[in-house]
Amino acid sequence: MAEHSGPDSGKHKANHANANSAALLHGRAGAGTGAGGLSGGLSQPAGWQSLLSFTILFLAWLAGFSSRLFAVIRFESIIHEFDPWFNYRSTHHLASHGFYEFLNWFDERAWYPLGRIVGGTVYPGLMVTAGLIHWILNMLNITVHIRDVCVFLAPVFSGLTAISTFLLTRELWNQGAGLLAACFIAIVPGYISRSVAGSFDNEGIAIFALQFTYYLWVKSVKTGSVFWTICCCLSYFYMVSAWGGYVFIINLIPLHVFVLLLMQRYSRRVYIAYSTFYIVGLILSMQIPFVGFQPIRTSEHMAAAGVFALLQAYAFLQYLRDRLTKQEFQTLFFLGVSLAAGIVFLSVIYLTYTGEWPQMRKVKVCLHLTWVISTQITLQQCFSTFHPTAHWLDAGEGGRGRRYAKIHIPIIASVSEHQPTTWVSFFFDLHILVCTFPAGLWFCIKNINDERVFVALYAISAVYFAGVMVRLMLTLTPVVCMLSAIAFSNVFEHYLGDDMKRENPPVEDSSDEDDKRNPGNLYDKAGKVRKHVSEQEKTEEGLGPNIKSIVTMLMLMLLMMFAVHCTWVTSNAYSSPSVVLASYNHDGTRNILDDFREAYYWLRQNTDEHARVMSWWDYGYQIAGMANRTTLVDNNTWNNSHIALVGKAMSSNETAAYEIMRSLDVDYVLIIFGGVIGYSGDDINKFLWMVRIAEGEHPKDIRESDYFTPQGEFRVDKAGSPTLLNCLMYKMSYYRFGEMQLDFRTPPGFDRTRNAEIGNKDIKFKHLEEAFTSEHWLVRIYKVKKLDNRETLDHKPRVTNIVPKQKYLSKKTAKRKRGYIKNKLTLKKGKRPNRKTV
Amino acid sequence: MQSLIGVMLMKFVLGQVKGEEEEENTLEVRETKVKGKSGKFFTVKLPSPLVPGAKIRVSVEMVFTHVLQPYPTHITQAEKQFVVFEGNHYFYSPYPTKTQTTRVKLASRNIESYTKLGNPSRSEDMLEYGPFKDIPPYSQDTLKVHYENNSPFLTITSMTRVIEVSHWGNIAVEETVDLKHTGAVLKGPFSRYDYQRQPDSGISSVKSFKTILPAAAQDVYYRDEIGNISTSHLLILDDSVEMEIRPRFPLFGGWKTHYIIGYNLPSYEYLYNLGDQYALKMRFVDHVFDEQVTDSLTVKIILPEGAKNIHVDSPYEINRAADELHYTYLDTFGRPVIVAHKNNMVEQHIQDVVDPAAEARMKVACITEQVLTLVNKRLGLYRHFDEAVNKYKQSRDISTLNSGKKTLETEHKVLTSEIASLQSKLKTEGSDLCDKVSEIQKLDSQVKELVLKSSVEAERLVAGKLKKDTYIENEKLHSNKRQELVTKIDNILDAL
Repeated sequence: MAEHSGPDSGKHKANHANANSAALLHGRAGAGTGAGGLSGGLSQPAGWQSLLSFTILFLAWLAGFSSRLFAVIRFESIIHEFDPWFNYRSTHHLASHGFYEFLNWFDERAWYPLGRIVGGTVYPGLMVTAGLIHWILNMLNITVHIRDVCVFLAPVFSGLTAISTFLLTRELWNQGAGLLAACFIAIVPGYISRSVAGSFDNEGIAIFALQFTYYLWVKSVKTGSVFWTICCCLSYFYMVSAWGGYVFIINLIPLHVFVLLLMQRYSRRVYIAYSTFYIVGLILSMQIPFVGFQPIRTSEHMAAAGVFALLQAYAFLQYLRDRLTKQEFQTLFFLGVSLAAGIVFLSVIYLTYTGEWPQMRKVKVCLHLTWVISTQITLQQCFSTFHPTAHWLDAGEGGRGRRYAKIHIPIIASVSEHQPTTWVSFFFDLHILVCTFPAGLWFCIKNINDERVFVALYAISAVYFAGVMVRLMLTLTPVVCMLSAIAFSNVFEHYLGDDMKRENPPVEDSSDEDDKRNPGNLYDKAGKVRKHVSEQEKTEEGLGPNIKSIVTMLMLMLLMMFAVHCTWVTSNAYSSPSVVLASYNHDGTRNILDDFREAYYWLRQNTDEHARVMSWWDYGYQIAGMANRTTLVDNNTWNNSHIALVGKAMSSNETAAYEIMRSLDVDYVLIIFGGVIGYSGDDINKFLWMVRIAEGEHPKDIRESDYFTPQGEFRVDKAGSPTLLNCLMYKMSYYRFGEMQLDFRTPPGFDRTRNAEIGNKDIKFKHLEEAFTSEHWLVRIYKVKKLDNRETLDHKPRVTNIVPKQKYLSKKTAKRKRGYIKNKLTLKKGKRPNRKTV
Repeated sequence: MQSLIGVMLMKFVLGQVKGEEEEENTLEVRETKVKGKSGKFFTVKLPSPLVPGAKIRVSVEMVFTHVLQPYPTHITQAEKQFVVFEGNHYFYSPYPTKTQTTRVKLASRNIESYTKLGNPSRSEDMLEYGPFKDIPPYSQDTLKVHYENNSPFLTITSMTRVIEVSHWGNIAVEETVDLKHTGAVLKGPFSRYDYQRQPDSGISSVKSFKTILPAAAQDVYYRDEIGNISTSHLLILDDSVEMEIRPRFPLFGGWKTHYIIGYNLPSYEYLYNLGDQYALKMRFVDHVFDEQVTDSLTVKIILPEGAKNIHVDSPYEINRAADELHYTYLDTFGRPVIVAHKNNMVEQHIQDVVDPAAEARMKVACITEQVLTLVNKRLGLYRHFDEAVNKYKQSRDISTLNSGKKTLETEHKVLTSEIASLQSKLKTEGSDLCDKVSEIQKLDSQVKELVLKSSVEAERLVAGKLKKDTYIENEKLHSNKRQELVTKIDNILDAL
């Protein structure tokens, strides 16, 4: 520890010499909270400070928890979203069958007839966490249903996220900023969108794990202690078990180390931290069955390995430089470099020759570039939980990759979460924070140190990813909260801190207190900031109290508006469940459209237990979870050709579809139809994706252009293309809809979603039969008939004129009664004596 | 004859005597067997022996389940539902019948066919056979009616009723119901369009039904595995809570559904106590829908942790299963759960007298409790009397002594007789505590003697007939003896 780089410890001393700054620390804590108790804070500073921090963190937890409960209070305590039904189902399985049974679970109810090895294809962290909580509660005989554990898991974890954000920000800046950051992350919509009660998704716990891992990483870089690094690895292990986004960590931390090296900030602390982290973290991450050997095989993990090697080499060179003379060192260095270049060159030739080039290239080309590309792609891939991009990326063999991508991209693009982010959604999700966080970033860069390099990199990469995909807004949110908190805290320091100073002359004991709190304060505790602040103070001596109060008021106004905005967004945008739809009448009473559950429950109760239900993949998890029936495809879209087959069945005509459905053993077909109530997320609106995905695999049978009018429009009315008007999806959606008149202004068969009168009103089925339609026609279920016992002719039997009339008398004599066959071989018959006599 | 109900399973018999004042008395009915005859037979005990030549009017109510068979068994959505009823033209009884009329009341006027024994008269929805004269015992002749019946043939295929008694003053009831439409099975497609647009489409399907909950029911919930069922309405009436239950989907023939309904009740309406003894009085089965049939019912009663001496009374026979333990809310050694089953139940089984469960052997314990208090009171009387004697010694007023004596005598008498009656009660309960109580009585009489003796002595002392020393000596002796006896009594009481 004594070998710590000079400037740091020097600053540290300077820091302690500055008594004012210690007093300021309290001022900041007070400013950050806006709460009272400052007078007491002077007599017992540490006590008051920790009490305040504790209270604020507790309140942040409480606020975060309660603002996530809108959906539960307005509706009920169930899993409100579609995707989490799978997580719930597997957690239920875990809770009722035990951990090993869960790891070995082969789910024969999904992906019929393939099935799915659930234990090996999920990140089990979420289920294990919920299962563990449930188990502990039940051990204590607190009867809580596993459903309630699942529903409230994300809100509870949001509190933990707030605390870990507080810890991380405290490491980066100071306690006041930490408390502000905790308050921000507790209520910021960008995070709430993924962690409301009833959304039981990986992200709910993963953001906590992410923040906590980063906190421990910063801590280990600061201290260089193996203890903190091991803690960091354990946290990383939890993150790996929870979410595919762990790739973000395993790329960001090496990036941090790499940039530190570039900035000449190498130290033993970094060396100890990263070497330990890489090795232990790698081994731990490979314990997750789903991850397996990926960390040493796939390109998105290679950056970490490369940096590890680089760090070792760097450390080795440092070591050599200490031992050797400059001349010796230079020769050795050049020798080593040329040797390495030669090896790389040879291996490239070898790899190109054997055809493994495309994959390996990424490893070899500049580390920096690899990251950006691979991290982005892998994040996309992992976030969409095992989307086929994985294959796209892995498909290193020859030129297959490109073709594969072309086929598989529709399925990724078809998910709305994978669309690029708009500016509106930045503001919507982050509000004022999106404006203030560059300021925080600027403060950080201006007073750079090891851990602030980290947060800067975190911010830059997260901004980039968030711009690529709406979904990745989630990774941006924590860093935005932290940097905004730093910005706000800084501003408050300047405009509130001075008053404090004037009122309270420098206090000696508080600096002692600070010493006591950090015995052996070996690393810099935001020392530069304090210096910076005191410098600022000098220049701002002339600020009048008016300016100060105005600025403070403005800032508080902004924060207030932020809080209002957060609550409003949470209440209106992120708390409406998708399982239940609600509409409000003019008098404010509520109508609940419970069609999804009506139909799923009908399936559950009134179909055979092993019935196979075909539907588009969006509804797979729900059918498995709520209806408990076998599905063909589901939201885990790992098998594109299977999905394409379902898409093909939906977009072919009935006869062709029947062939496919027979071959897939389909008993029921379920579709979503919103034409009656004007629900826009129905299957007809998704239909083009089905066609596209089907076309990707079966370009000969399905062509997207067939479903458009010659003018290139997608229309369901009379002008629509005949292929569309006769395909299975269209027929199932509009079966008997043509007779239905919704109101008097519109003709019968008027589709409210697409505002058109349907083109094909005379729909008849030969192989299907309507089995169930929910009350508002939202869900329609058709039964696939078995093959007829006796094939009925679809045409009349042919009438031939050979049919003898009743009164017909043959004119032929008995002798000529025999008919004759044309060109028959004539046979000469022998004579029969007895006949002749007659 | 209830329209819904029965397969030759006599469910339930209520004999009712109708006297001249049209008073209805329920008669005691017991099942018996008759040699060589199949079927169920019951012995009915009349309130008074029937004198030769005398007349009595008895009405018998029988309820059958699953007797009406849908025919045809499968119908489409547009078709109406027809059922066949098979019964007996004659009153099946071990006695000859002089004259008899059979009336069959049907659910509709639309009758396909019916047996024509004795040229029955038909009016609207009523068929009247007979009167038949002089029918021999055990006569049978199949009565068969095929008619339209669109009433919902709902059956509760299984139901679990959990009653959780909390010691915080709450009783939580939760019923898990499996419901099936046992009418003619739906054939072919279900068309929502027809169902919505044509009023007579799916006429035999069940859209909703009413469940009547107890008036004090609160926090009612109606849900299933996938959450709350939003299609229900609650109507709070004066004497009940009426819940309109709509399953998630309409129930057609052969379709089934499953739901959970639960509510809280305040325990003061159902839980009675005397000291530490508690009795719970609740319905074994409650109303789910009118004319309900329950194929199998399981009732679980969860009592508070630490409940002991559990005893169950029921108005009809139930099958008790082994008791279980239930752990909840930080329990350490679990709450006892009483489990009982019964199959094939109808609405008439909803009886209020169902199940004084809870801490039992209760009567005995209750009596002993009473004995205890009485004995203690009696001992208190003596103390009271002693005080009177002391007063007398000071004031030398004979009237106080006499009045004290009088009150002692009367109250003692009352208490003793009460104890005696309790003792006899204990005897009828067959408890061995009876002997102990009689022992107490014996000891008590000795005590009383002593008390009286001491009072006499005191009298004599006051009158100057006795020397003070001897009196004090005697008094000492007496009090020692008394003390001995009292401790003896106390010991016995403790043993109780």
